[in-house]
Amino acid sequence: MKKFGIILTSLLLVAGLVTGCGSTPTTSDKGTDGLPADVQAIKDRGVLKVGVKVDVPNFGYKDPKTEEITGFEIDLAKAISKEILGTEKIETTAVTAKTRGPLVDSGDVDLVIATFTVTEERKKSYNFSDAYFTDGVKLMVKKDSGIQGLKDLNGKKIGVAQSATSKKAIQEAADKIEAKVTFMEFSTYPEIKAALDSGRVDCFSVDGSILSGYLDDTTVILADSFSPQDYGIASKKGNDGLAKLVNDTIAKQKTSGELDKMIQKWGLK
Amino acid sequence: MVGPFAWFKWEALFRDWTVFAEGLKTTIMVAVLSLALALILGIVFGVLGTSQWKLAKLVSRIYVEFIQNTPLVIQVYFLYHGLPHMDVMIPVFAVGVLGVGVYHGAYIAEVVRAGIDSIHKGQMEAALSQGFSFWGAMRHVILPQASRIVLPPLTNQAVNLIKNTSVLAMVAGGDLMYRADSWSSDNLYYGPAYVAIGLLYLLLCLPLATLTRRLEGKTGVSS
Repeated sequence: MKKFGIILTSLLLVAGLVTGCGSTPTTSDKGTDGLPADVQAIKDRGVLKVGVKVDVPNFGYKDPKTEEITGFEIDLAKAISKEILGTEKIETTAVTAKTRGPLVDSGDVDLVIATFTVTEERKKSYNFSDAYFTDGVKLMVKKDSGIQGLKDLNGKKIGVAQSATSKKAIQEAADKIEAKVTFMEFSTYPEIKAALDSGRVDCFSVDGSILSGYLDDTTVILADSFSPQDYGIASKKGNDGLAKLVNDTIAKQKTSGELDKMIQKWGLK
Repeated sequence: MVGPFAWFKWEALFRDWTVFAEGLKTTIMVAVLSLALALILGIVFGVLGTSQWKLAKLVSRIYVEFIQNTPLVIQVYFLYHGLPHMDVMIPVFAVGVLGVGVYHGAYIAEVVRAGIDSIHKGQMEAALSQGFSFWGAMRHVILPQASRIVLPPLTNQAVNLIKNTSVLAMVAGGDLMYRADSWSSDNLYYGPAYVAIGLLYLLLCLPLATLTRRLEGKTGVSS
């Protein structure tokens, strides 16, 4: 009898998970200044909460000496904050591929600006802005491996990041030239670099601009570049006012040339 | 508004069930093999820990303290990322078996040692005086009595061992945890993925945990 109760309780718990979380009511009423409620909430709080990378040089990187997080995406976050609040006031949260989705869902961050590639599948779960940066997937190998291009990687192991779309891009390209490759997924970029150094993988493959931050004397980035990836700013479904504002801001930055200036400032093109 | 547990995400999970089946297979295989290794190591070092031979005692002590007082993750990182720099390349599956097996071997050694210590030393003396060798006395007199006492904590270790195989996810080991990470990070349907593998781990561990409780009742440990 007791055991039956335990089983019943666990079933109920699971049922709660399946059904309970899908039905939070959303409000899209206008705030006091005619702003959408989600934007007004940020304004009332007085700070924009953004999830950023801290391990991608030039995009979002925390300098271990100064403890300061800087990069292209941080500047972009500041520009959006200026649009909403009138000042550059942001509160950053470090995210990884694994945490950036849940952090948006829970409302811990308003936006995620973290080399987040836009895919059709992901658009079902989050609002994505138009692309603010486009980058191709590239390959990094050890100099002494003698690997010249994708065809030399036949039968080799490629290290990729979890939640990165590079796996799909490389797989498609490899299928075309009938090269057989296997993928090993790691949760952070430094781990993939460690795996490349120790020979656990033969190739480190992520978006080119991220890869360039890990280049050293023993490694080389190959010229091949695969399916361009669009980076977008993610926000919660339902916060549509915020999503529109982000899109408008990006469009404005694009036409004014501010965006290109930022990209050049961080040496990304 | 789309919640982390939206129904279409569950549908995707059931569509891709083979991904998780593969992971479950790896997890079970690593768990079984590393449990075998842990039992062997645990019994050998547990018995050594109770022997009169000073050096054996010391070796057992070093093994147990060294392994118990360093995190499993670091031990596995050492096997995976460290050893290749010394030209020792162990396949990732073996890293899992070795890492988890050696780790739990240390805990089982302590369980075995405590079990043997709980048998009155008169038993050993009597066996030796009857002409048994040390290992013969262990095998035929001490261990059969101790095994009743150590079984409940031993199954408890087996449960922990199964859960700890998830460390393989950090070194691309292809186990259940890794598959869930990999699958859910592609499409960001993390809600169903982690609930599903949580239930699978529960399915593996609950029978063992129930067995532990039964055994405790039988040997009178709990009363």
